[in-house]
Amino acid sequence: MPKGGEEAVNMAQQEMEFRVDMFSRLTAACFEKCIGRSYKDSELNVGENSCIDRCVAKYWQVTGIVGQMLGGAQFPGK
Amino acid sequence: MESSRGGDEGDGASASSPSAAPVQHYTRQDYQAIDFHNNCAVKTILSGVMGGGMGLLMGFLFGGYDPCFADEALSMRQKLWISTKSAGVRSLQMAKGFALVGAIYSGTECIVEKARAKHDMNNTVIAGCITGGSLSAKGGPRAACAGCVGFAAFSVLIDKVMQGD
Repeated sequence: MPKGGEEAVNMAQQEMEFRVDMFSRLTAACFEKCIGRSYKDSELNVGENSCIDRCVAKYWQVTGIVGQMLGGAQFPGK
Repeated sequence: MESSRGGDEGDGASASSPSAAPVQHYTRQDYQAIDFHNNCAVKTILSGVMGGGMGLLMGFLFGGYDPCFADEALSMRQKLWISTKSAGVRSLQMAKGFALVGAIYSGTECIVEKARAKHDMNNTVIAGCITGGSLSAKGGPRAACAGCVGFAAFSVLIDKVMQGD
């Protein structure tokens, strides 16, 4: 394998790890926030559904903003 | 519902640990069914229909007696016919009322729950208040207020009984 290819694989691996980590954090945060503690129903109810919708959207948005700010801080000239 | 869930998925987990039961994943159809059932318009129509059926039944059960039974001039056959007809009319009226109440209540509750993104008693209180208030709005603001409080209390009571606590 050429050197550039190995680097790309490493970067992809890092990216993948970042994605998985973010997904698990997102899941944990939104579960903690939205899912009720009385497990009487096998399906999500309407309130939980809409809470999860908003939670994930907000998490995703904030992640994007933080990523942009971090990128801007690291490379101010860009 | 249980049997329709995920036949071709979820077999991977059981291969490594045979003691654990295979995980049953939701399929796309399951999610579509849940989304359909959680749709506020669908909920409104469904509970309107259920309320109508219940009103029909209740009307036939409790609306059978007619004041024409006291009339001595009529024969038994006439009395039965008249009372059956009036029971039908009354049960239709009752069905209409029940359908209206059910549709308004569950539609309001669904919208309120969706907006608040919480599943608790406050939904019941708000939806009951709106239903009771709007149904008794014809009698003026005082009647609307009383209907709001009364129906809210009633629906909270029913909810508590249904939940069993």
